[in-house]
Amino acid sequence: MLRNQKRYKVISNKKVCANFFRLSLNAKFLLKKIKPGQFVHLRVSDGLKPFFRRPFSVFRAQKSLEILYEVVGDGTQILSKKKRNSSIDCLGPLGTPFSMPPKGIKQVVMVAGGVGVAPFLLLTDKLKNKGYDLILLYGGRTRGHVFSFKEFQQNGCKVFVSTDDGSIGVKGRVSKLFTKINLAKPTFIYTCGPKPMMASVQAFAKKNKIKGQASLEEVMACGVGTCLGCSTKTKHGYKTVCHDGPVFDLDEVIFQGGA
Amino acid sequence: MKLNVKIGKVQFKNPVTVASGTFGYIEKYCSPSKISQLGAIVPKTVTLNLREGNPSPRIVETPSGMINAIGIENQGIDNFLSEKLPKLTKFKIPVILSISANTDKEFVTLAKKVNNAKGICAIELNLSCPNLKKKQLVAQDAKATYRLVKAVKKVCKKPVIAKLTPNVTNIVEIAQAAKKAGADAVSLVNTFAAMAIDIKNRKPVLGNIVGGLSGPAIKPIALKMVYDIYRETKMPIIAMGGIMTNDDALEFLIAGASMVAVGTASFVNPNASIEILSGIKKYMKKNKIKDIKQLIGSIRT
Repeated sequence: MLRNQKRYKVISNKKVCANFFRLSLNAKFLLKKIKPGQFVHLRVSDGLKPFFRRPFSVFRAQKSLEILYEVVGDGTQILSKKKRNSSIDCLGPLGTPFSMPPKGIKQVVMVAGGVGVAPFLLLTDKLKNKGYDLILLYGGRTRGHVFSFKEFQQNGCKVFVSTDDGSIGVKGRVSKLFTKINLAKPTFIYTCGPKPMMASVQAFAKKNKIKGQASLEEVMACGVGTCLGCSTKTKHGYKTVCHDGPVFDLDEVIFQGGA
Repeated sequence: MKLNVKIGKVQFKNPVTVASGTFGYIEKYCSPSKISQLGAIVPKTVTLNLREGNPSPRIVETPSGMINAIGIENQGIDNFLSEKLPKLTKFKIPVILSISANTDKEFVTLAKKVNNAKGICAIELNLSCPNLKKKQLVAQDAKATYRLVKAVKKVCKKPVIAKLTPNVTNIVEIAQAAKKAGADAVSLVNTFAAMAIDIKNRKPVLGNIVGGLSGPAIKPIALKMVYDIYRETKMPIIAMGGIMTNDDALEFLIAGASMVAVGTASFVNPNASIEILSGIKKYMKKNKIKDIKQLIGSIRT
């Protein structure tokens, strides 16, 4: 009963680093509609395994709709085997997008953990050439969990990397990179990644009186705000990640065991 | 081809509806013309006062199904009647309102509030939500079921449907109690009490620890319960429990259900209920069945 359920053909589905894949769909319908931070809900198998659809942030929407994903379980395993010209049942665009930085902002900082980097390329496509200093602080477990960030640099974005094992960039958590932020400039922060990481971003932002937004991830069933399964606690009560989010104001979210 | 079915005094144009808690009208996404094709809509269970719902995680995927412990998150009956109902009545199809409460008295209060609401054609008493941390559900006790249905029937001007839990030894006995108390129909099954454990940290996956299993995994069990109740009581049944396809729906109709409700399937395939309706029509055409009533309870044993 939803208007935006369609099947799209796979153009390509390639491994881009040890743990990440890049899927490209022939989804012309979506290219102009999708906004940074929104997601698509893919039925990776037409059978019953896995049972749920899987939500993915949109990574890029130029000639095709692109998704960056990490193989973490059954669903992404099946997705990684999709061949060119096969087709996937897709719901989208779904969710509330990032809002644009408020007036007066000079510096836009994106703090990403692992595959949480996915929604930010589309965001920089939108924010480039608008006079912002664009900075990506990108943390991963190892080199294999850090995707080539060339396209971010092509969008005029400065990229700083950290890894838990130091195999690329600074050794340690992404919070080690907060020193790269010029606190003298009016700044807006976007973050997406594991909850403890986003909680540290929230604490940093609060301490420095910086506003921002967080893109959350939860297990979803419907993806459209019906089942209330993906609800997350916020200062304004439970909100659905799929419909009220996935993007929330950074100070609104309550990260469990968080900041 | 006649598809209409009757529950109490209410006529439904066809037997396909949605299960409570699985249909939410989202203006942004829904296609109104498709919704209007359904026989009825059943919105998420409403309680007297606002309920915040259970802590997350609230759902977990399981083989051929899911476990949920949402906890009847809703804004309360007054908000429903003033804000949500007008959006639903514009589809011009009957709304069956699912209600839940902590006591008989609260159920009666809710039923009275619904009496004058235009567009609501029947009440479904949710006697069986497994996620409210109660030791025993009303629908786990024949006497309690009888008492509650009787109390609601006394004040309610609209048909009353008792929604039953499968978590009982003998579901027929509960259906009989509901029938004796005047229930116009029963709906079944609600979810099966279930849980999942994360072996990495040995913690329950769900914030509520336990929840209710739905989806195709439960279909054969639900079907047998519908079959049993129809055979013993011949009362109208709204069947739900893992209906994914028109074949599933047809099985339930043949077993004795007057209506079928599509639930969890809609999360995976939002168009499932509409596809099931057209599949039933195709089957009837192919088998030269002119009236859906010829199909209901037509199992050859």
